[in-house]
Amino acid sequence: MSERTQNRTQVADVDRSLYDFTYSEEGYERYDDGLTPDIVRAISKKKDEPEWMLAMRLAALDTYHAKEMAPNWGPSIAGLDMDHISTYVSPKTKQAKSWDDVPDDIKTTFERLGIPEAERESLAGVGAQYDSEIVYHNMREEVARDGVIYTTIEDALHDPQWEPVVHEYFGTLIPPADHKFAALHYAVWSGGSFVYVPAGVKVDYPLQSYFRLNAEGAGQFEHTLIIVEKGADLHFIEGCSAPKYYEANLHAGAVELFVKDGARLRYSTIENWSKNMYNLNTKRARVGADAQMEWVSGSFGSHVSYLYPTTILQGDRSNCEFTGITFAGATQDLDTGCKVILNGADTTATVDTKSISKDGGCNTFRSSIVVGRRAANARASVSCQSLMLDDISRSDTIPAMDVRNATANVGHEATIGRISDDTVLYLMSRGCSEAEARTMVVGGFANPVSKELPLEYAVEMNNLIKLEMEGAIG
Amino acid sequence: MATATTATPELKLERVNTPPAQTWNYLRANDITLTVPSESRKGDVYFALPRLFEGIECGMGPDVTAWIESQAADAQYVEVRAGERRIEPIIATMDTGVMVRTGAEATIVVCADAQATSRTSAALVRVIAEKGARVRVLEFVATGDDQQHLESVGITADEGARVEVRQYFLGAHTTAAGLSCALNGADARFDLTCRYLGTDDQRLDINHVVRMRGRNGRSDLRESGVLDGRARKTLRATIDLVHGSSGSEGAELENVLVLSDDVVNKTMPVILCDEDDVAGNHGATIGSVGPEQIQYLADRGLSQEEAEALYVRALFDEALICAPTAAVRAAVLARAQTVLGTEVAGDLVDALQLDTEDRA
Repeated sequence: MSERTQNRTQVADVDRSLYDFTYSEEGYERYDDGLTPDIVRAISKKKDEPEWMLAMRLAALDTYHAKEMAPNWGPSIAGLDMDHISTYVSPKTKQAKSWDDVPDDIKTTFERLGIPEAERESLAGVGAQYDSEIVYHNMREEVARDGVIYTTIEDALHDPQWEPVVHEYFGTLIPPADHKFAALHYAVWSGGSFVYVPAGVKVDYPLQSYFRLNAEGAGQFEHTLIIVEKGADLHFIEGCSAPKYYEANLHAGAVELFVKDGARLRYSTIENWSKNMYNLNTKRARVGADAQMEWVSGSFGSHVSYLYPTTILQGDRSNCEFTGITFAGATQDLDTGCKVILNGADTTATVDTKSISKDGGCNTFRSSIVVGRRAANARASVSCQSLMLDDISRSDTIPAMDVRNATANVGHEATIGRISDDTVLYLMSRGCSEAEARTMVVGGFANPVSKELPLEYAVEMNNLIKLEMEGAIG
Repeated sequence: MATATTATPELKLERVNTPPAQTWNYLRANDITLTVPSESRKGDVYFALPRLFEGIECGMGPDVTAWIESQAADAQYVEVRAGERRIEPIIATMDTGVMVRTGAEATIVVCADAQATSRTSAALVRVIAEKGARVRVLEFVATGDDQQHLESVGITADEGARVEVRQYFLGAHTTAAGLSCALNGADARFDLTCRYLGTDDQRLDINHVVRMRGRNGRSDLRESGVLDGRARKTLRATIDLVHGSSGSEGAELENVLVLSDDVVNKTMPVILCDEDDVAGNHGATIGSVGPEQIQYLADRGLSQEEAEALYVRALFDEALICAPTAAVRAAVLARAQTVLGTEVAGDLVDALQLDTEDRA
């Protein structure tokens, strides 16, 4: 065995005990597995939706059945059998505005995940979804007084003031025909958030939605619709987790973000699904003139991920920053990245991503930067760094650039490599053990991402990395 | 340089120049579809390359290999004996296989000029570089504005072999070029320089693939070009660090100068990594001549148009310097006359002190 081989870091799997706990589904309402028009109608009827929404669902179901997954790229989803996935599972509870009104098992779940504590300490509002339905939703009064709306899509649809708004925006940024699992989403969506921030309003504290999928062999299809009006400012946090099962679970949510002229939206996600999860999520933002869109994305869980938040810089001088980290371990095949479409003049985009592969995990960074003909003086830079922690893992970078304007300037750089022996030796010569040295390097590698996260998430991410790096040095 | 005869009905070659890893199909960057004369039976009865060459991966894919083989009336097999330093370049025909034996050296020249009588021309070159061999491949595409050229190259390099490829894509209505190099042996090295020019309605589609299989391999890909008019260019460059390529390093860099808002420039630089003790880097810059550079040149009496023309002229300069034979120089000069005009082409001849018989 070579010296280099001996020095490889042997890392343990993620300690997921924080997330791996389940409660019985007894008494829950669970629809049959599979996808039929009757199931779609049942979901719509249960939600007492307007006719247009049912029509949209049924058309989307046809689109889902008609569309195929692209055969020439992406991880395999052969293990996902929709005939064995229930698309709607609901706990027997109504949406509460106080944690005291939430059933004990669900409340305990969210307490273990630290949601109520975070709400008390640092959030402007919280939504908590358990399987297919929102079980808790609340917002600080002073935020509500500013005219900020933070509710579920279902409630917005039943509000005469907001139903026309939902109708106007819903499904316009991510059309049902976008891809097969977008169509599936629109057929069976349930839960999620509707956020409206009036013009000029700056929300000082973040809003947070947390999605927990407790049921085995089920799907979660929440829809998030956020409208940030002109000059407004919002930070929205999304967290998700699920316990581990030996059957496939599916997450096919959709996030539509409308950032109007001069507005700013930061959308932070820490995704920590269990490793039996197929995460086929779609996120998209349209950004107006002089507006700013910031994505902070951490992907740690799921068996297979297809996740590429998309930003359309439609307005002149609009800006997008994407900061992401992906950590792929054993049994994981995570295909993540982002897309930016620069249509406005003087638009700028900065993409900075990191990925770490270990224990046979597969990481693929996939991106596209498209500069349209109207995007005079557009600037885009993409940086992608990948760290390989052993020789049984895999890391690919597949960026694409399409430039159609002579005054645009697009730069791209990517590096893939391992932790340098020289660096480890240097740190060891200053008193660190080898394990500490390697943990320090990985921590430093991930630091540009963790510093962009809210404090509690940064701590969680750093703990995850530390746990990953603990273990024997072979 | 052989050319295919025009035949009807035509054949559509789909999914040509497909890289090892693909991306979203809506970007239309994964491949190209070409219309070519239908397959002929010429290749069936005449000389074919030794079976050994069938296992070589060529950049444009197996369908193009089969099509070119069908079009070629004959196949040329050249063997450079062990230890031989062959001075005379090997001029590739439509279907050429070159075996460069242990420690031997050879230069292979592929040139497509405007003399072709049919609209579609093609070249298929397969090279085996044995242990310690030195191989230089020089490719020049300088055909007419109404022509389509397909050029597919496949190379394997054994232990310690060195492969250098220089490509000059100077114009054709459609140029589709694929190159695949497999560094199978330890300490093998691959260096690629690709320079291209796209103007008017030209279409340029390039696929570069390096498979790094041996330990301590090195690959360095440098692509640069100028795009003007309504030119459409797609470059796919893949460095594949295969499991077992421990100690290998691969780098790729592209610089594109875009001179028109009607240009479509697509770039897909890919690194595939299945080994931890390796390093892969790629970079790309796509843009125009910067305002500071324009100002700098303006201070020295050069307008923006003149400055941009210098980039194009430099491309032809370099192609002429690297052209190894009078025939290749003539092809490049003929293309320079079309693109830059007779006067500038004449300047090139004088500046480089080329033999006057090179003047087209």
